[in-house]
This record gives sequence, C-alpha cells and structure tokens, in this order.
Amino acid sequence: MSVAAPAVSEHGFDAWVAHKRGRRINNWLLVAAALAVLGWCFWDTIMVDTDWARMGGALGIGGTLERFLWIDWSLVPHLIVPALETLMMATLGTLLGCVLSLPVAWFGAANVTPSKYFFYPVGRFLMVLSRSIHEIIWALLFVGAVGLGALPGILAVAMRSIGFISKITAEAIENIDPKPVEAIRAVGGNQFQVMYYGIVPQILPVIIGTIIFEWDINIRRSAIMGLVGAGGLGLVFFRQMAMFNYGGVTLVVLAVLVLIAIGEVVSLLPARP
Amino acid sequence: MRHEAGIVEGRARRGLPGHEENRVPVLDVRNLKVSYTSSGPQILKGIDFSVDDSDFCAVIGPSGAGKSTLIRCVNRLVEPTEGDIVLFGQNVRALRGGELRHLRRRIGMIFQEFNLVNRMSVMDNVLSGRLGYTGAFRSFFKAFPREDIDRALHLLERVGLQDHVDKRADALSGGQRQRVGIARALMQKPEILLLDEPTSALDPKISRDVMGLIRELADEFKVPVLCNIHDVQLALETCNRIIGMQDGYKKFDGPSKGMRKQDLDEIYAMEVL
Repeated sequence: MSVAAPAVSEHGFDAWVAHKRGRRINNWLLVAAALAVLGWCFWDTIMVDTDWARMGGALGIGGTLERFLWIDWSLVPHLIVPALETLMMATLGTLLGCVLSLPVAWFGAANVTPSKYFFYPVGRFLMVLSRSIHEIIWALLFVGAVGLGALPGILAVAMRSIGFISKITAEAIENIDPKPVEAIRAVGGNQFQVMYYGIVPQILPVIIGTIIFEWDINIRRSAIMGLVGAGGLGLVFFRQMAMFNYGGVTLVVLAVLVLIAIGEVVSLLPARP
Repeated sequence: MRHEAGIVEGRARRGLPGHEENRVPVLDVRNLKVSYTSSGPQILKGIDFSVDDSDFCAVIGPSGAGKSTLIRCVNRLVEPTEGDIVLFGQNVRALRGGELRHLRRRIGMIFQEFNLVNRMSVMDNVLSGRLGYTGAFRSFFKAFPREDIDRALHLLERVGLQDHVDKRADALSGGQRQRVGIARALMQKPEILLLDEPTSALDPKISRDVMGLIRELADEFKVPVLCNIHDVQLALETCNRIIGMQDGYKKFDGPSKGMRKQDLDEIYAMEVL
C-alpha cells in the first residue's frame, strides 16, 4: 500500500480505482480463506467427533436438562460446612499468596530489584510460572504432595494468586513518585525504611484493591478445588455428580453463586470513596 | 535590610568574627566533575568551593548550570565521577553503605517539590526525618521515641503548623508543605542544610516567608546552609555568600554584598545568547 500511494497521485482517477479494486479483491480473498479454515474446524471437531446417536434428539437433550431443574433442597444443611470451607480456602490462600508475592514483587520491580541480571528475571519468571499453570493443575500437584483436604486447595490458590498480585504490585512500584524515596534516602534511611516509608504508602491503595479483587476470584477457584479432592463445595459437587443426583448438583452451583455474590458485595465496599 | 541584620546577629551568636583567616570549612569541594553516563555530557566540569560553619551560601545560575547536581553530590544522591568532597572532615566519596547513611543523617535536605510522602500524615512525615536514628522494629510500627515526638511537635509549632499535625501531607498548601519539609530536615538535628530550590514551587510572597523562616531557623540552630536558588534578588537578600555557576563551571564566588551587576551578567550570559 505504501508503494501504491505515490502511483495513485501520479495517475489520477483510473489508478485510484484500480488500486481500490485490488484492495477489495485482496480483502475478499482473506475473508474466504478465514471462512474455509473456520468451516474445516467446525466439521472436524463438531460434526465428526460428536457421538450424535447418543444424544438422542431434541427430546433427549431437554429431558437431561430437565433433571437438573428438580433442585434437591434437602442437601442445604450439608452444604454449610463445605461452603465455609471454600470461603476459608479462598481467604487463607489469598493471604498466603500475598505473603509469597512480597519477595516476587520486590525482585520483579525494575527500580528496586536487588539485582537486574539475576533477581529481576527470577521474579518475572515466577510471575509467569504462577499464572501459566492452571489452579486445577496446582491442586493436583499439592494433593499429590500433601494429601486430600483443604490444605492442598489453599496452597494451590496461593500459588495461583502470586502471579497476579506480584505483577500488579511490581508495576505499582515501578510507577511510584521517586521524590519521597529520595527524601528518605537523604535522611539516612536504610533499604527497609526507604521501602516502608517511601514506597509502601504510595502503592498501598493499589495493593489493597488488587488483594480484594484476587480474593473475589479465589472464591471461584476454591469452589472447584474439590473436583480433584481438595475439599470445599467442589467435593460435594463431585459426589452429587457421581451419584447422578442432578438436583443436588444444581444446588451446589447455586451455593457457589451465593458465595460469589457475597464476594462481589464485599469487594465493592472499599471502592466507596 | 532585615536579613542583613540577621546575618550579623547570627554570626555574633555563633561567636564568629567573619574574618577570612578564622573561617572553618565544614564542606570542602575540590575539582568536582560529574557525568551521568560514561559517554554523556559532563554536567560539572571541575568545581572548587568551600562552605564555612557560619555560611548561608547561595548557588545561583541559569537552568541546566548543574546546581542541583552539585548539591546532590554532597550527600551522594548523585555519584561524582571525579574530585574530592570533604564534609565534617570525612571524605564523602570513600564512604559506603552504613557509613554513608550515618553521614546522611547529619545532613538536612529541603527539596524543590517538598518530597513529602503524600499519603502519610504531616506528623509522620516530620518524624521520618529521624529514620536514620531509628531501628527496624521502631520504624516498622512507627513507634518513635518520646523525645522525637516532642521535638516534632515543637518544630511543627515553630514553623506554624501546629493545627495541621494530623492532616495528610497532600491536604496542605504549597507553602505549608515546604514548612513540613523544613521541620523534617530539622528533625535530623542537621549539621549542614542542603536546599535544592526550596522556593521555586512557591509564589513570590510565600517564597520570601519560607526563605526568611529557613534563615531564622538556620541562625537559631547554628547550621550552615548551601542553597540552590534561581531567584537572584531573594538570594542576595537572604544569603551572605554567593556562588555563581554557568554550564558546569564556577563563575563567581564571594560575599553577596560585593556582588555587582556585571558579575550577574556574566553568570547569566548564556540566557542572553
């Protein structure tokens, strides 16, 4: 295009029209190619791979879904303890994640890192590692390491939280106003005092917001931890599913919904000016 | 002039006759050269001067002359590339880690943009002047010793901020914030004060008030002062000695009384061109 532009100005209207036509044909070819790829994907993954016979027609699908609608309210008393467990897993996991995020953020913030060539890349790598592994995979690892129960769930949630909290914190540290830091250095403050008096007050609002946001997300994560044996509502979900008690499954989903709503309300509170 | 009387009075109180041969240099700078990068331009190109224990010394000169760099070399917020800086008989360039922090806590610094921690209270900002003398445990809990708190309250009253002690630093006006900066510097019980354009963020009237206050307190606490300032009139009114700089060189050094129009013209020659 950048080559065609001067030609247009030299040859006037005809060249301009030819140039436009060329571009239009190009665009149509691109769209056609994209559609062809999309069609092939659709055919290969949905038409070929699906077991159409087992689905059993529109009535069969409706019937299956209908079984989920008969909510099994009798299960409510048995959900209270797992729901609390889920909530605690999210809370403790977030707290542990915060503590573990501190050194990672310190390493990974370019302006305060102890060493640009060693600790900075280490910090950045830990951030990526934490986020690139799904919470279920973390949970599987920890269930293998420390056994069943809420503890592997807490550890998994914590590991998964490090990436986000430390990344946001490191970025907040990189964006601070350097002037108060200079002042604390000038009065003879040591490294810790420079951080605690010069940096922390500046990044505190961002960190608190991030932690609450992460806690909100961690409620969701904790809710599915039970699928791999790490306790909480997910475990009840898994059992109800195994017993083909679809009404119970729906109730667990509703319980998760209630927890998330609670998280949403709590995380809105500090946003009030 | 009002300040003229102040200088004489101040000298008398310090028991200093003001004769050339009786002067005791507190700060002695020889052949100071600074470049920020090894290949970059030289900011200071060999500066020599000394500050005596009765001096209120102004460094004047056009923007970019190297005034801020010069002042920051004294407490090594900027690393000199060449030359000697002797402060209180210590070779500043030879100090490392803890030694440097111990020297810095004897140097009070007041900044152009106040360099307060905005999200901290006025009181905590003033108390942070004591950080060089405060251990990790006390600084973590912001539990300063009683005498520090007494001194902070006294100084805040002295600079006229007794009604703003518990306000957040960013709730104050510019002049008030600089008064907090003054109180913070004096918290250190400094043996020399470095002022980096303390009035250029303030309006002309407040500038005079603030400079007058610094002058008054410097006399009261018998602290020598090295002060960057671009308001020549204010410098001549407040300071007893002027160092004129231009493009990294010293162009003038002498008592403010002996300064003539042609000296000023020479220092500011760059701006005319």
